[in-house]
Amino acid sequence: MARMKFLCDAERCIECNGCVTACKNEHELPWGVNRRRVVTINDGVPGEKSISVSCMHCSDAPCMAVCPTDCFYKTEEGVVLHNKDACIGCGYCFFACPFGAPQFPNGPAAFGTRGKMDKCTFCAGGPEENGSKAEYEKYGSNRISEGKLPACAEMCATKALLAGDAPVISDIFRDRALRRGKAGDAAWGWTTAYGKPEQAAPVAKEGAK
Amino acid sequence: MLVKKGKSRTQYTPEAGVILAANPASSATGRKSPEGAMNGVLATTMDRRTFLKRSGLVAGGGALATQLPYNMIGSAEAADVAKDKTGVEVKRTICTHCSVGCAVDAIVENGVWVRQEPVFDSPINLGAHCAKGASVREHGHGEHRLKYPMKLVDGKYKKISWDQALTEISDKLLAIRKESGPDATYWVGSSKQSNEQSYMFRKFVSFFGTNNMDHQARVCHSTTVAGVANTWGYGAMTNSYNDMQFSKAALYIGSNAAEAHPVSMLHMLHSKENGCKMAVVDPRFTRTAAKADYYSRIRSGTDIPFIWGMLYHIFKNGWEDKEYLKARVHGIEKVKEEVMKWTPDKVQDVTGIPEAEVLRIADMLANNKPSTVVWCMGQTQHTVGNANVRAMCILQLVLGNVGVSGGGTNIFRGHDNVQGATDVGPNPDSLPGYYGLAAGSWKHWCAVWGVDYEWVKKQFASQVMMEKSGITVSRWIDGVLEKNENIDQDSNIRAVVYWGMAPNSQSRGLEMVEAMKKLDLLVVVDPYPSATAAMSAMMRKDGVYLLPACTQFETVGSATASNRSIQWREKVIEPLFESKPDHTIMYAFAKKFGFEKEFCKNIKIDKDKQGWDEPNVEDILREINRGVWTIGYTGQSPERLKLHMKNMHTFDVKTLKANGGPCDGEYFGLPWPCFGTPEMKHPGTPNLYDTSKHVMDGGGNFRANFGVERDGVSLLAEDGSASKGADLQMGYPEFDHVLLKKLGWWDDLTDDEKKLAEGKNWKTDRSGGIQRVVMKVHGCHPFGNAKARAVVWNFPDPVPLHREPMYSPRPDLVEKYPQGADKKVFWRLPTLFKSLQDKVKDISKEFPIVMTSGRLVEYEGGGEETRSNPWLAELQQEMFAEVNPKDANNAGVRNGEFMWVETPSKGRMKLRAQVTERVAPGTVFLPFHFSGWWQGKDMLEFYPEGAAPIVRGESVNQGTTYGYDSVTMMQETKTTLCRVVRA
Amino acid sequence: MKKALFLALTVTVGLSLSACGEYSQVASYKPGNYQGKSDTRPWEGGQFAGNKQAWEAALNSRNQTQNEYKRTH
Repeated sequence: MARMKFLCDAERCIECNGCVTACKNEHELPWGVNRRRVVTINDGVPGEKSISVSCMHCSDAPCMAVCPTDCFYKTEEGVVLHNKDACIGCGYCFFACPFGAPQFPNGPAAFGTRGKMDKCTFCAGGPEENGSKAEYEKYGSNRISEGKLPACAEMCATKALLAGDAPVISDIFRDRALRRGKAGDAAWGWTTAYGKPEQAAPVAKEGAK
Repeated sequence: MLVKKGKSRTQYTPEAGVILAANPASSATGRKSPEGAMNGVLATTMDRRTFLKRSGLVAGGGALATQLPYNMIGSAEAADVAKDKTGVEVKRTICTHCSVGCAVDAIVENGVWVRQEPVFDSPINLGAHCAKGASVREHGHGEHRLKYPMKLVDGKYKKISWDQALTEISDKLLAIRKESGPDATYWVGSSKQSNEQSYMFRKFVSFFGTNNMDHQARVCHSTTVAGVANTWGYGAMTNSYNDMQFSKAALYIGSNAAEAHPVSMLHMLHSKENGCKMAVVDPRFTRTAAKADYYSRIRSGTDIPFIWGMLYHIFKNGWEDKEYLKARVHGIEKVKEEVMKWTPDKVQDVTGIPEAEVLRIADMLANNKPSTVVWCMGQTQHTVGNANVRAMCILQLVLGNVGVSGGGTNIFRGHDNVQGATDVGPNPDSLPGYYGLAAGSWKHWCAVWGVDYEWVKKQFASQVMMEKSGITVSRWIDGVLEKNENIDQDSNIRAVVYWGMAPNSQSRGLEMVEAMKKLDLLVVVDPYPSATAAMSAMMRKDGVYLLPACTQFETVGSATASNRSIQWREKVIEPLFESKPDHTIMYAFAKKFGFEKEFCKNIKIDKDKQGWDEPNVEDILREINRGVWTIGYTGQSPERLKLHMKNMHTFDVKTLKANGGPCDGEYFGLPWPCFGTPEMKHPGTPNLYDTSKHVMDGGGNFRANFGVERDGVSLLAEDGSASKGADLQMGYPEFDHVLLKKLGWWDDLTDDEKKLAEGKNWKTDRSGGIQRVVMKVHGCHPFGNAKARAVVWNFPDPVPLHREPMYSPRPDLVEKYPQGADKKVFWRLPTLFKSLQDKVKDISKEFPIVMTSGRLVEYEGGGEETRSNPWLAELQQEMFAEVNPKDANNAGVRNGEFMWVETPSKGRMKLRAQVTERVAPGTVFLPFHFSGWWQGKDMLEFYPEGAAPIVRGESVNQGTTYGYDSVTMMQETKTTLCRVVRA
Repeated sequence: MKKALFLALTVTVGLSLSACGEYSQVASYKPGNYQGKSDTRPWEGGQFAGNKQAWEAALNSRNQTQNEYKRTH
C-alpha cells in the first residue's frame, strides 16, 4: 500500500509560493491560516535555498502522541488526520510539531480567539463522508478520494514539491539528483551518508554523460 | 442565505453563489438597472464571506458519529451521491497573469467556479503554476472588484447606471472632439485584453479619429520590439520557454524569471539538470541568481559595456561563428570596432564586473552551444533600451545562435497578452500587424474592415494626423501639461480613458496627478477601480467615471503567449456584478458615437444574457485572420486554436510539435508567423529564422525589410543560406506581384487569387495566394531572405553605444558617455536628453543611491488585481525596499522599520526597510506593484467604498524621474537615484 | 503495562469520585488511541465506489504527472 509523503527538491524550489496559494484555493482557507509555507535560508546571498513545508505526515507523529483528546488518527496510506469534533484547540500539538504545521484559526467564541486546530490533510479530508459538504467545511477538499494528489504538489511551478507514494516520488527525485551529476548540495544525502564528494564522483560521472 | 438546494451532491458547493447563478433574476436587493436583470450579485456575493469562514465553525456540531474503530464504515449513501453530477462543467482557460501562458481547468458547478485543476496535458506548463496562477479562481469571488458604474461627485464615488454613464461619457467625449479635435483625447488600451479585444480597441479609437492610444507594451518591451525587429525582422521572442530545454548555456540579464515568469523555470531547471549552464547578470542577487551557476553583479544601466566586454573576449579568442556572420549578418565589422574599445579595465570601471567574470560568462556562452539569452525589463526600461537589446541580438548573431533550436533571444514578455496586444492592438504608431500608418496601410485595413477609406480619414483631424504616430502612454501626462506651442498636435489632451492599465506603472507619478487634475474628463474601464480612481479622487472633485469591465475568465478570446503561441480561452463564468466584456463596452460606445455599423461590418452581433449587443469574438478573430498577413496571424482560425486546446497532450514538450493526432505536425498554439489561410495549414513557427527546416514546417530566415543593398553592399543573405528545400537557395527580396511574374510563378495562382493579388505584395494580398505559392509551391519565405543588421542605420545609435543613465551616480562617466541631443518633436512631444543630464550631473551628491525596481512573484503589473486577492495579498502585506546593511546603517535605518526613499523629482515613499545583501551598497530595490499610499498617507478614503485592494502601499513610480528611450519613448525606471532617510 | 496501570488508576479515581455523587471529571481516553469519528477509506464511496484497484491506478498515474521526464522522453 502507498505510503504518502511530501518531498521538496531544494534545487528546484524557487520560493514562488504556488503551493501556498494552491492550498488556499483548494480549501478556501481564510486569511491567517497557512497549512503550507515556503521557508528560505540564506535569503539574498549565495547559497539561498527554499523548501516548502507543511505537515510532514510523520510516521511516529508527535502531535498524535501528545494530543490530550486523541483527536489524531493515521490512515492506511500514512496520512495524519484529525477529528475537529474532538479537538479542543489547546495547542499542545503546536508545541510538539517540529514543523509548525498546526494552525489555529479564529474560532467560535467558546474558544476565545483560538479555534480548533487546522492543518494540512494531504488533501485527504477528515472523518466525514468523502467529498461531503461537512468534510469540505471542516477539512477542505478530499482530492485523495478523487484519485488525485495534493493540490500544492500538483501545481508546483517547477515540480519541486512532490507528493505521493514515497518510493515513487523518491525515484523521481533520485533521477534528477543523478542528472545534476554533481556532489555538493544536489546530492547531499549521498555525501552525508557515504563521505566526501570525491567518493561520490562515480555517480557524478554517470549523470554527466 | 445558505439556502439548501434540493439535491445533495458529491462535491461541496458554495451555496450562495449557486443560488445566484441559477436564478440570475431573483434579486436579493431588488436593485434594477436600466439594462435589465443586473441582479443583486453584490449583496449575495458578499455573503459568501460568511460561508468561507468555515474553518472551525462547524466543528463540534456533528457529534453523531459512530464509535466504530476508524476506517470501518463504507458509506452506502456516498455511492448514490456520486452519480449526481449535473451542472458540473470543465472550462479550459489560460492564466491571465504573465506571458508564459499556463493552462487552467476551471470546474464550474451551476455557473459558479468551484475548483481549479492543473492541466498536466499543457505542453507549456504541464500543470504547474506559481502563486498567481494557482490562485486565479479567486477571480470568481472578486470581492474587491468595481461592481457597477460609478461617478465622482463632490470627491466621492457614487453608483450610477450604465445608461447614465455611457450617455454622460460619450456626450463629453463628443463635445471635446467637437471643440478641440479628436487628438484632445487619449486612450490607454490594455495588454490584458484578448487579441480580439485589443484589435477592436485599435479600430475603435481609429474610428473616433486619433492615434493617441497605447498600452502596457510601451513601458514593458517597446524597446525590444523596435530594436529586435530592426535587427532581423520580427520583434518577438525568437524561440520558446520549452525550447530552452535544448540549450547548453543560458544567460539571464535583466530578467528575474523565478519571480516574473516562475513556470519558465520548470524548463530551465530541467535543462540545467541535463547539463545546461546558467548565468545571471543583475544588480540584485535575485531568486533566479540563486539558481544559477554563475552570478555577476552589474551596475544598473551598464548593459552595453558588459555585452561589449563579453564580445571583446569572444573576438579576441576567435570564438565568433565566422561562417554564420559572413552568410547571414550585415555590418559586424563596425560593431567590432566599437567592441574592441571596451577593454576589460574599462568594462570593470563602468559595470563593476571584473574581467574574470566577464570572460567566464563569455566562455560559457561561446563554448556550450547552442546557448540562449533571456532579458526583460532590466534591459528594456532604459534611455538606451533600444541599444541594449540590439547589443544582445548582436551577441547572439556573433555566436551564430539565432535561428537555432536551443539558442535565440528568449525575450520574456510581461502580461499574458502583451505580445498579442503589441501584434494586433492599440499601438500609436501602427495599425494591427505592424502595418504602420501610411495611406497604403490604412487602405489595406479599410478593405479588411469593409469600410470606406475616405470615411475613416474624415474621422481624423486631417490626413497628416491620421498618419502621424500618437503620443505614447509613457508621456500622456506631458500631452496634458506641456505648453501648447511645444506639442505637435492642435490641442493639449483634455480627456483620458484608462481602459485596463495601471497608472502606477508609468513614471513621474507626482506629475501624473497634476495631469489628472488638469483633465476635463477621466474615464477608467477596468475590473478593478485601479489606482487611477484613487489618484484622481485625491486631486479632484468630479469629472471621473469608473466602468466595470469583466476579466478574461468571464468572456472568450485568444491570447498570445511570449513564445507567440496563441491559446483560446473558454468563458468560465458569466460576468460578475454589472461588469461587461471590453468588446461589449466598446460596441456600446460605438453606438453612442454613431459608428457601430462600420465598427462591426464583418462581425456578427450577439445578445448577451442582459440583452446587450456583443460582437462575436470568433468573427473578430476571423477578421484578424483576414488582415494580419505581415506576421502570420492569418492561419490561426478559431477552429484550429480550439482543436489545439482540446489536444494539448499530443504536443511534445521540447519541440511543441504534435506527434500524431488531429494536429499532427503542427506546433502548439500555431505560434506566429502561421502564414497563409487556415486552409493552407501552415504549422506555425516554433523558432524564428530557422533555416534547418522547410518553411512549411516552421522554417525561415532573416527578413528582407531594409532594402536589398546599403552603400553598395548587398543586404541579402549569401548563397546557400536559405531555408531547407527553398527553390531559391540564395538571398532574395520580399515577394510581390512583380517578382512573382518575373520568376514565372504568377500562374501558380488560381484565377480568383490573381484578381486579389494583382498589384499587391505578400503583406497586402488578401487572397493569401502569394504566400501560398511562395511557400507551399516553392518553399520560399514570403518576406524574402536577407541578412540580419548588426548596424541599424535608422536609429540614433546605429551601433549600440553606452550612454550613462540620465541620473547617474558617476559624474565622471557622464562626461565620457553622455546622452544624445534633446529632441524637439518626438512622438508629438519635446523630449529632453543631454540638457537634463547635464543639469543633474552632480545630483548624486544629494542622492547617492541607485534606485531600481522590479517584480515580486505574488503580484503582477500595477498590482491592484493581485493585491485584491486575499490568497496573494496575505503573502506580501506591505510595500518595502531592499537596502544594503551598509546604506541602512549609514542612514540609521533598521530592518523592518519604516523609512523614506526620496528621489530628485521630489518623490517621497514611506516604506518598510528590508535590510539585505541581496542588493549591493549603493543600490536600493523597490517592487513596482504597489499603489494606494501617497507620500506616507493611505489613500483608502479615495477609493470607491469596498473596492480598495486589500494591500496598499507606496508606488515606486511616484518617485521615478524623467528619462525616455531615444527610439520608442520607453520610460527609464530601472536606473535613477535616491536617498534613504529614517522615518 | 504502564498504560494499563495508568488506565486502571484513572478509572478507579473516576469511580471513587462518582461514588461521592460527582460526575466524572476525567474523560476515559486511551492515550494514543483515536476513538473519534470513523473515517471512510479514500476509495470507498465517491467516484471509486469501493474499487480499490481503480483508485490506486488513478493515484499511480497522477504520481507520474509530477515527473516531466516521463513525458518528454
